[in-house]
Amino acid sequence: MDPVTEQAARPEGIAGSSLPGPFAVGAYARKLQEELRKRARVQLVGEAWNVKRSKARVYFELRDGDGALPCAMWNDAWERGRIPEGAFVDGAQVVVAGGPDYYPGSRTSSPGFTFDVTALRVAGEGDLLAQVDRLRRKLDAGGLLEPQRRLPRPALPRTIGVVTGESGKARDDVLAGLARRGWEGRLVWAFAPVQDRHAAAAITRAVQDLAAVAGVEVIVVARGGGSLADLFAFCDETLCRTVALLAVPVIASVGHHTDRTLIDDVAAVACSTPTHAAEAAVPLHCAEARVTVGRSAQRLADHGRRAVLARARHLAQLSRAPAQAVAKQRARLHQLLREMRASARRGGVTEAGRELHAAAAALERRAGSARGASAAGRRAKLDALGSALTAHDPERIVARGYAVVDDGAGAVVTSAAEARAAQSVRLFFADADVRATIEEE
Amino acid sequence: MSAPEQTYETATSRLEEIIRRLDSGEAELRETLALCKEGRGLVEFCAAELDAVGQGLQELRLDELVARLEAGTARPGEPG
Repeated sequence: MDPVTEQAARPEGIAGSSLPGPFAVGAYARKLQEELRKRARVQLVGEAWNVKRSKARVYFELRDGDGALPCAMWNDAWERGRIPEGAFVDGAQVVVAGGPDYYPGSRTSSPGFTFDVTALRVAGEGDLLAQVDRLRRKLDAGGLLEPQRRLPRPALPRTIGVVTGESGKARDDVLAGLARRGWEGRLVWAFAPVQDRHAAAAITRAVQDLAAVAGVEVIVVARGGGSLADLFAFCDETLCRTVALLAVPVIASVGHHTDRTLIDDVAAVACSTPTHAAEAAVPLHCAEARVTVGRSAQRLADHGRRAVLARARHLAQLSRAPAQAVAKQRARLHQLLREMRASARRGGVTEAGRELHAAAAALERRAGSARGASAAGRRAKLDALGSALTAHDPERIVARGYAVVDDGAGAVVTSAAEARAAQSVRLFFADADVRATIEEE
Repeated sequence: MSAPEQTYETATSRLEEIIRRLDSGEAELRETLALCKEGRGLVEFCAAELDAVGQGLQELRLDELVARLEAGTARPGEPG
């Protein structure tokens, strides 16, 4: 329906009504938008609820006990506000600046009233978060988030300093953590108020004093959970700068794991509980370390003993080798000697003669196979050798009335000097042997 | 320049190195004996370090240390 038709089709007003109109709603909506935008721009305070984000805007309701307003904020305004992550949540106390606005809608989209927010600040706890966030950026820009993390931390400190509340549960938790590590060294307690932002100076002094105590190798700063306002002391700029520049590593455990205070950012290590902080202060499990060291000592001893023993055995083997060789040769010599004596007794010469005969026969056979006149000559020569051997056979000599003399142990005695030296001798006759004693004149 | 101070970490890491070398079986007798000697020294150092934190927890208060320091009876590093 075109506007002309629409104009023509406008119905009559309500009978009896004195009010002007009827007017077209779109025109009226636009007029309303215009009027609202003319209102004075103000700052409002309340709690933000039902926070929703779209691609272009952030929507929420600003409420207090007496009423509420739907609010909307363009994303570019939101970005300019640098509102810290986690600060703008349901229930957050916020201050908004802006003015009322009206979206007139259309035939296809719903109209809506909003308070158009051009600037927003999180107040209360959110404000603290925003302050912490600003300070964190400042410390980061000053390069103070790094120095503690670069400090070497001892695996087995002898002395640990602890900053905590004297009556808090954190103290027991630290002791429990150390007991879990089996650590029983020197513990220096620095008790300080840990409740509010006024405690920061005392905590700063405690940390400085502990670092000055000779032998303190690591400092634990511990506090149980609490509201951010309670924990705000640990976000103090002076404290954080002091910790960041300390030469002794600081292990922080402030609040629960969901809380993030500034000291967590500047410390060497941030832990979720005081027990974990104590364990981080002594990375080594002392009982296990004792077992490991004992095992190392045992392995060293084994290696040392094995190295010496193995080499000693080898040396002993080497030293025995020559003696064994000599003994072996000696045994062989004895055997040969025994065989020679036995052979002498049994007429070894005859045996030798027989062997010679056999050799001669073999030679003869080979000679027989040889051709020519030399064969007959060789045979005659062999016959002569055979006869000569037979003539020298001791048995035949003894049979002719000679005797063989030995020293009684098998060694043949062939001279008067040997006989004199032997003193007792044996005489072998053809039938038997007899003992004889050498008598000197 | 003085040698870097021996710590529990440096001692145990050198000890592991020594045992690895001995386990390899490549060390000669002279080296083996030298490594064993060095290792025994390291074991003694580590055992002494562990003993130092195994003789019962000693708890001190910083405020008392500071008070004694101010009274001139002891340095903070040498309590009692």
